Amino acid sequence: MFSHFSVFKDESKLDINYVPPSLPHRKAQLELLNQFFRFTIESPGRMTQRVLIAGRIGTGKTVLSQHFGLSITKKAQQRNVNLHYVHVNCRKCKGSFFMILQRVILRFYPNFPKRGYSAEELLQTLMQILDEKNAYVILALDELEALIRSEGSNPIYSLTRIQEERLKNAQRLSLIGILRETQDLDSLDPSARSTLQRNIIHLKEYLKPQLRDILEDRVTWSFKPDTVPSQTLGLIAEAATLEGGDARYAIELLWRSGKYADTERSKEVFPEHVRKATSSVYPVVRKDTIAELSLHEKLFLLGVARRFKLTDAAHISIGEAEEAYAIVCEEHDEKRRKHTQLWKYAKVLSALDIIETQTSSLGHRGKTTLISLPRIPASELERELSRVLQTEAV
Amino acid sequence: MPIEDVLSSKGRVRILRILADIGELNISEIARRARLNYATTNQHLKVLEDHQLVQHKRFGRIRIFRYNEENLRAKMIKQLMELWDK
Repeated sequence: MFSHFSVFKDESKLDINYVPPSLPHRKAQLELLNQFFRFTIESPGRMTQRVLIAGRIGTGKTVLSQHFGLSITKKAQQRNVNLHYVHVNCRKCKGSFFMILQRVILRFYPNFPKRGYSAEELLQTLMQILDEKNAYVILALDELEALIRSEGSNPIYSLTRIQEERLKNAQRLSLIGILRETQDLDSLDPSARSTLQRNIIHLKEYLKPQLRDILEDRVTWSFKPDTVPSQTLGLIAEAATLEGGDARYAIELLWRSGKYADTERSKEVFPEHVRKATSSVYPVVRKDTIAELSLHEKLFLLGVARRFKLTDAAHISIGEAEEAYAIVCEEHDEKRRKHTQLWKYAKVLSALDIIETQTSSLGHRGKTTLISLPRIPASELERELSRVLQTEAV
Repeated sequence: MPIEDVLSSKGRVRILRILADIGELNISEIARRARLNYATTNQHLKVLEDHQLVQHKRFGRIRIFRYNEENLRAKMIKQLMELWDK
């Protein structure tokens, strides 16, 4: 192996899960969160709190909540309060209340059995564990819309009302809901909605100079000195502003541009690298979402992508998707799953916002599920899936 | 029950080792790791619990077993197992 110069110093600082030590242009919102949850360290157990963080993609919702989580648990530790911040992405949990609660319990009991009880039992168990350990939890439900879409009002209702059944006990479970649009709460029943909507922090899209500040921070942490010229940063900030002030997109673009520079063995990241990177990053469907799908979900999606490549139609039926999937399975030497399982995959992919599903209306014989692919070109999706499947096979 | 009877069973010793290593587990997981069936595991755990070498906590229908570190005998057995493995 021979090594060559890389523009990167530490790529991990550009990772989607990295929580930076400072959050440019989100100080006021961070302070607001601290105020909302002050009681958790000053008088733990007296009350619980529910806060919503809303904003478009890449406005810093997740990182704001995680940053707050890290700082409040540190403060709690200094005061000997057993406070835990648990961040769960509802979409990664496939919108399942059961899986969300399980993640919280695993924090306390890493070997807790994974099957054999209902979500309600699990919630009771969680409260029992918290009482037993004299612990407090701030549960951050990221991409809350996935939970609401898949399970409706019940989980929110249960989470917010669990304390009411335990008036004599300490109040232990607080919530942070993170979602894109507060309109997603409209489908909740009024009682569940009212408990959530008291404290809302709206995050506005970043402006170009703000994106630039964020990028400059990331460049300092992740790139070698003098490898990213100012004009390159300006171009990335501009591209991300056009994407609706999306900081996540900006950071991914920065990383990809660096990769293109490395591929060409360039000592600097030039605007041309950004232009190449721009054409390879699709802001809505991200590589981490695709990589986390199960093997057959990927194969099914590959079938869907290939089918869309062959047609100009806006929708394909699930039957057509099944046929394409069968061919993909044959190619990959995999035993194909049956219809009901594929229908479930379609639901999962729809919950992940990769595809859209709807039930056929007039003009179709019988009733079938129709699939559309509104967010990413079929050819791009096919390329990304083939790449991921190939990597997994190796 | 005298010590030779408590520790005469391979299954019981395996369960003790697993719990001493992992800390807390439910019966099905203990059974899987010890390569025993559920009923046998349950019986062994009962014996071990009667001698205060392990303890359990109940969460609804679930029982979670743990090695009883506070018990002097359990502590000494754990030390012996660690020494043996060195």
